[in-house]
Amino acid sequence: MKYIKQVVTVTSWEFSRFFKPKNEAIGIVVMLLVSVIFYFGSKIALADSDDKPAVSVVNGTDVALTEILKSDYTINTITPEEKRSFIENLSTERNTILLETEGDIVLLYAYKNNRSIKDLRTHLDEYHRQKEMKKIGLEPAQLAAIMSPAPVAESFVYTDNSKNRVILAWFFAGLMIMAVFLSFAYQFTAITGEKQLKITEQIVSAISPQVWMDGKIFGITLTGIMSMLTYSLLGITGGVLYFQFSGTLVSTILDYLYLPSIALYLPFALTGILIWNAILAAIASIITDPNNSGKSSLMMLPVVFVIASLAVTRDPDSSLSVFLSWFPLTSATSMPMRWAITEVGIWQLAGSFLLLLLTFYFLRKLAAKIFRVSILITGKEPTWGEVYRLSKLS
Amino acid sequence: MYPGVDCNSPLHCLDLNLKIRSYMTDKMDITALRVNSISKSFSNIKAVNNISFTVDQGDIFAFLGPNGAGKTTTLRLLLDIIKPDNGVIEWSLNGKRGHLPEARQIGYLPEERGLYPDIPVLKSLVYLASIRGMEKGEAKKAAMEWLEKLGLANRAKEKLQVLSKGNQQKIQFIASILHKPAFAILDEPFSGLDPLNQESFIDFIKEINNQGTTILLSAHQMPLVEKLANKIFLINNGEELYNGTLSGIYQTFTSHKPDLHEIFLHLVKSHKQ
Repeated sequence: MKYIKQVVTVTSWEFSRFFKPKNEAIGIVVMLLVSVIFYFGSKIALADSDDKPAVSVVNGTDVALTEILKSDYTINTITPEEKRSFIENLSTERNTILLETEGDIVLLYAYKNNRSIKDLRTHLDEYHRQKEMKKIGLEPAQLAAIMSPAPVAESFVYTDNSKNRVILAWFFAGLMIMAVFLSFAYQFTAITGEKQLKITEQIVSAISPQVWMDGKIFGITLTGIMSMLTYSLLGITGGVLYFQFSGTLVSTILDYLYLPSIALYLPFALTGILIWNAILAAIASIITDPNNSGKSSLMMLPVVFVIASLAVTRDPDSSLSVFLSWFPLTSATSMPMRWAITEVGIWQLAGSFLLLLLTFYFLRKLAAKIFRVSILITGKEPTWGEVYRLSKLS
Repeated sequence: MYPGVDCNSPLHCLDLNLKIRSYMTDKMDITALRVNSISKSFSNIKAVNNISFTVDQGDIFAFLGPNGAGKTTTLRLLLDIIKPDNGVIEWSLNGKRGHLPEARQIGYLPEERGLYPDIPVLKSLVYLASIRGMEKGEAKKAAMEWLEKLGLANRAKEKLQVLSKGNQQKIQFIASILHKPAFAILDEPFSGLDPLNQESFIDFIKEINNQGTTILLSAHQMPLVEKLANKIFLINNGEELYNGTLSGIYQTFTSHKPDLHEIFLHLVKSHKQ
């Protein structure tokens, strides 16, 4: 009971230190402002591009080509005598394009191969297609029939209708990464910063290193979760607004917010954040000066594992995916993803989650042990070997 | 036979007698801290070498020694921040005995000072008292009383970083005794203070001692120690040089004038030789 009371005290202290509703609100307002600026900026940019781009063609160019182009381009026709000076001026008139047909070949002159050339190519491909169809006497409907997919009547035992669940799984993975990254910054302030400020000795004379470490882990996790919740609500509001203005039923959002999925993703994500907080806390405990420590780069570890965990989307039934969905450093994102994409038994979900919980239990103990040892070492930063040796002595 | 004690056989009477005597002895025991033959080594360095002492309730016990003598290591051993290689530490505070003191019963002013610079003073004080088991309301009230006493009540809501070094030191002192501990360990409480504040701190230490807090004090300022301590333990290179009362040390070293500073230098120098 005393342990719980002390952990709650430290947790609420850490949470109040790092979760600042005012700063959170400012962050959201800035984000909304940036979004509004981008939205209207792109509107203005698109409004400017309402004019059709211009393409010049040499007099005598195949009429079929100009017919295809004229719906999307303004066509300027030049004489063969003007062609030479047009090409010479390409270095200064960089946005101009010249086309000319020579038998089956289309001659294209431009300053460089850019996006507008790529757009133009689709029209040139269409011109080529129509020309070849005409040669062999093929009608457009016949070509469409040839290009259509094979008519297959599908019948599966397991029906994959997981699109919405996958989107939600990605959403949770994104929130988890965000929470872990926030923790990354907070752990440095909460642990390494506290060591630098020499507060730790006073604290551990009152509470055990385990209480201190647990309070830090829970407090910072709670801060990350609050940010997760804030941005989830923001995401849902954004989704509602998008559906409202794109003509889709607003209730479509409920298809994505499928309760059983949330009930599964949430505990996995929370335990995943706790695990990473325990790891980050252990690393932060050993770092004396973040600016000069070679161990600071270890704080980037979560990125590697989170990216690796996303590999399950390629082939959810492969051995690698099964391994990733059980391995505690990747399973928090991999298992929910696999569940969303493929068939995963209840025992697998329960087993993976249990392993996740056990890993957290032992990692927090390890983090406290490392912290206890590292506060005894002053001056130079201890090596992992020194921490191991001292942990056996203390 | 004790009046009012019923016993029905000689053996029963003897048993009751022993129990009552044991109870009375416990009641009379005024030892707050008993340290018995503790040692601690780091690699090949013997930081603390087989030292023993006792601190009685109500004492102001000065724990003295030059830099690197093993003072801070000993204090860390007492607080279970580190474990001794051998020896026994026994606490007896407010009727509770054990190798580990209750957080609420102990106050600690570490040599390496540090508080949260970006957090209001009062908030930090309440937090530090609450992790030692004090209720928040009670902690807030006590903190305001101490801030008032030290002339800092109007700065309670200011961040620590805007206070002068001397005032930060005062806040640190309040943090260590706010929860009214039975035993306070003060490691270098006078360092960084001007003479005026040093004198004030002597008064504060005497005040908390008069209110029932036993003090274990580590300091280098011998004239200040002389004004406070009733018992002295002198340590050098991890070993005991002297353990006794202040008056006792003057009597032992009669060749020296009653000057703790002189005696301290003599003992440390002769121990090194």
